[in-house]
Amino acid sequence: MSESLASPSSTLSRRLSAPARRQARSEALSGWILASPAMALMAMLILAPMLAVVWFSLTDYQLGYPGAIFIGLENYRALLDDPLFLTSLGNTLLYTAIVAPLSVALGLGAALLIESETRGRAFFRTVYFLPVASLLVAMATVWQYLMHPQIGMINQMLALVGLEGRNWLGSSDTVLWSLAAIGVWQSVGFNMVLFLAGLTAIPRELYAAARIDGAASAWQRFRLVTWPLLGPTTLFVLVISVINAVKVFETVKTLTEGGPNKASEVLLYTIYQEGFSYLQVGYASAMTVVFLAILMVAMLIQYLVINRRTHYQ
Amino acid sequence: MTTIKTFATALGATLGLLGAGYAQAQTVLKVHYPMPGFFKDVMADISQAFMRENPDVSIEFVAPSPTYEDGLQLLLRQANSANQPDISFVGFNRLRVIDERGLAVDLTPFIAEEADIAAEGFSPRLLDLAKVGDHQLGLAFAASTPIMYYNADLLREVGGDPENPPDTWDEVIEYGGRIAALGNGVQGIDFRWQGDDWMFMALVLGDGGRMMSEDEKSVAFAGPEGQAALELIERMRREGGMPVFTKAAGEQAFVSGKVGFAFQTTGALRNTINNVGDKFDLRTAPLPLLDAERGKLPTGGNAIVMLTRDPAKQQAAWRLMKFAAGPYGAATVVPGTGYVPTNTLAAQSPDYLGDFYPANPLFQAGLDQMDAMVPWYAFPGANGVRITQAIVDRLAALVELRATPAETLDGMRADVERLLPRR
Repeated sequence: MSESLASPSSTLSRRLSAPARRQARSEALSGWILASPAMALMAMLILAPMLAVVWFSLTDYQLGYPGAIFIGLENYRALLDDPLFLTSLGNTLLYTAIVAPLSVALGLGAALLIESETRGRAFFRTVYFLPVASLLVAMATVWQYLMHPQIGMINQMLALVGLEGRNWLGSSDTVLWSLAAIGVWQSVGFNMVLFLAGLTAIPRELYAAARIDGAASAWQRFRLVTWPLLGPTTLFVLVISVINAVKVFETVKTLTEGGPNKASEVLLYTIYQEGFSYLQVGYASAMTVVFLAILMVAMLIQYLVINRRTHYQ
Repeated sequence: MTTIKTFATALGATLGLLGAGYAQAQTVLKVHYPMPGFFKDVMADISQAFMRENPDVSIEFVAPSPTYEDGLQLLLRQANSANQPDISFVGFNRLRVIDERGLAVDLTPFIAEEADIAAEGFSPRLLDLAKVGDHQLGLAFAASTPIMYYNADLLREVGGDPENPPDTWDEVIEYGGRIAALGNGVQGIDFRWQGDDWMFMALVLGDGGRMMSEDEKSVAFAGPEGQAALELIERMRREGGMPVFTKAAGEQAFVSGKVGFAFQTTGALRNTINNVGDKFDLRTAPLPLLDAERGKLPTGGNAIVMLTRDPAKQQAAWRLMKFAAGPYGAATVVPGTGYVPTNTLAAQSPDYLGDFYPANPLFQAGLDQMDAMVPWYAFPGANGVRITQAIVDRLAALVELRATPAETLDGMRADVERLLPRR
């Protein structure tokens, strides 16, 4: 590692005089020394655990047994025909496909409404942000009451207008949608704050200029000014929303435990069950690696797109 | 720091000179337990009482684990390390995991040394609860069976007699259906099939069946007993007014007075009493058995297990185990939870619980079925816990009426056979 990093400076040093070369080398050295505590911490706290997970995923390690046998990619092959893992992956993707776009759209809508009106701005900002600041496990219990099939407020209100309620969390037809609704509720406020920050960065003159150029309606100004200039923010919010949706766990664990009959089984919950209940650390690690890969792909897409498309300055 | 240490040593030496009783070495036992919400006060009480009687032992609690599963994780992670607790409490259905990994000390020699273990209140049936094969892995500490909770107001409303509650499943379904017909969101039955295989097992064993054959090579529940159990669940659903509840939803509906009968562990009794308050007339009764003659019930709860390999510590640990699982321990655990006593002396003696039961009739149902208690069967092998989940998933499809009892049973058998260790 140090060799490959040292090589550019050695090609450089060939063209430099001896004292300058010495100075460059000592600068590089002090650079390394100064960076080393942070790098050591990063290696210990981030890289080492991740490498350990990758290593475990190549073994048949079970918690409580002394040894583990190296089995190569066997765990990954098993994942491919594990119906539970595939169900779990499918549910997670569906959940993400519902939650991410909805929470981005509603977050943007809330931000635009709050931005366009000065009265009560702080109040609305706080109200929308409350779900983000609240403890999701505690709030899940409240949702459990709201969505209760007999005594829940949602079904009682539906009954008032003559509609028949559903068994929101108890039926495999509705459970994932109910959880998605909670997920949207939880993340709209966060997205709104990010959009508000993005909106304040748009220069006011652009709106005036657009108006002079004939963009008469609010919709035209949104389409011509706000939306393009919010591009980087929107992409960032979308990626964050996808990552947060893929990471759904608390509501599943507290409300449904993946049920009924796997209808709300999601990736993190499957990993938790596999590792913590079934004690199959090797197999759970393989799932974790797949999970990390999904998150990394999401981040990579964001990085590539931001670099290519969304610079306006 | 050093000064404090020197001071402490000097103080200790002085005290040692003053009283010979304090001169003997203190044995320190590290004790770990799960579910502090249930057990924190109970543990503190028992440990103080024990240390008063045994001044040579001091008990140190390590941080308790929130659930049985977390507790098991901790034991497996710390196995054979310096941090390993000396004593812990393990759920009955996870004793097998501990046994397969050789973690707990077999208590058979300790029991053999006792003059008469049954006279100390540990009957063979109680000892069996914490046995895996011929290994005595622990002593039962908290034990529970499923019982019937019922809403006497609703039962009265449909013409039933709360003093003579249903004692067969046919009657339960009959009254459940009538209660559900009251309308206004009221339901007949909440049967706790979610979470684990315990309640399904209660129906199978209650019909005189068993989960696996004696040699554990073939599935035994897939016969008439399993079929009867699943048909019963389907009837509760179709005729008995049982909706598709999540676990929490069922609990909430019952304590709100919206359900006629609830079938779940007697361990939840104290919480249920507290949550119901005076909203309705709460009663309990033994769980109906499909076969009243041969029927048995699986026992939930936990056992106190010994992990230390140090002979001196083992002696102290054994004393603590007998104390905690003994009459004093049982008399502390029962009133605070609803578990049944795991010691025969505790239930009868007026010093302990003899006066408690007449004054608290709701606790009687669990006590009445103690003769039917058998161990909670745990499936063998690395997939043992996964089998439990497979059974629950099949039950979910049955309860949602997406599978017939016969399909459910076939599916369960196939799942279990696939997940059993191949030999």
